[in-house]
Amino acid sequence: MPLDIKSSVEGTTGRLKLTGELDGASAPAVRTEVEQMLTHKLDNLVLLVENLNFMASAGLRIIIFAKQRQPQLKIYVVKPQESIIETLKKTGFYDAVYVQDSEPGEGAAAQ
Amino acid sequence: MYRRSAPPPRPMNEITLPGTLDSLEPIRDYVAKNAADAGLDRSAVYKLCLAVDEIATNIVMHGYEESGLTGDIVVAAGKVENSFQIHLRDHGRAYDPDTHEQPPDTDLDLPLEDRRIGGLGILLARDSVDDLQYASGPDGNVHRFVVNLRQDAQ
Repeated sequence: MPLDIKSSVEGTTGRLKLTGELDGASAPAVRTEVEQMLTHKLDNLVLLVENLNFMASAGLRIIIFAKQRQPQLKIYVVKPQESIIETLKKTGFYDAVYVQDSEPGEGAAAQ
Repeated sequence: MYRRSAPPPRPMNEITLPGTLDSLEPIRDYVAKNAADAGLDRSAVYKLCLAVDEIATNIVMHGYEESGLTGDIVVAAGKVENSFQIHLRDHGRAYDPDTHEQPPDTDLDLPLEDRRIGGLGILLARDSVDDLQYASGPDGNVHRFVVNLRQDAQ
């Protein structure tokens, strides 16, 4: 399934919604999108991946790229599928990003 | 006493695709279908697809494109004794996963901005199957991905 990419920047939060499969073929388009988002100084990069069915190491390299560009960035991975959580854990990324079931700030707003 | 001779090895079925990034998705689809048909569960299918995808990407990028070569990737799938195997064959520059470093364990705890970019693909490939073998010779390069089968899936 090809990858669908949707992005937006609101204040200091960038959101990137990925639907489909992220591999070596689709990764350049994601990187280009992230590069564009990082022309703004961001505090948060929110990856909405509920419908991301596959992620190769190319996805991890994009996360590294974002952090190297803006080290202050907090990266949120929202609703990853179990297989992607496993990839994050195997590679030491799980504890370096914020894996959660909702976007940052949504839980607080609902209280 | 009646003795049964060992059954002949089942032939593996195979497809041939161009050694380009556009082939990654059809390779995964082919692997997923054959792995599921062989009785692997969803998690094992995903991990096998991940391992094959990582190596196929290396074949395309390093074996072919960066080496200025073009060629195909042959993907064979099938049960071999007590395992399910995928074989990837290519004619690009030899790229033995054993000679390429994967990040040391100490790297995995580093802050992301200090992490090395390379090696993650091979780490994931090795970790996602029971065995990953490589051989290179006059007939090309072959990567073998081995997933041991549970008794009930054989």
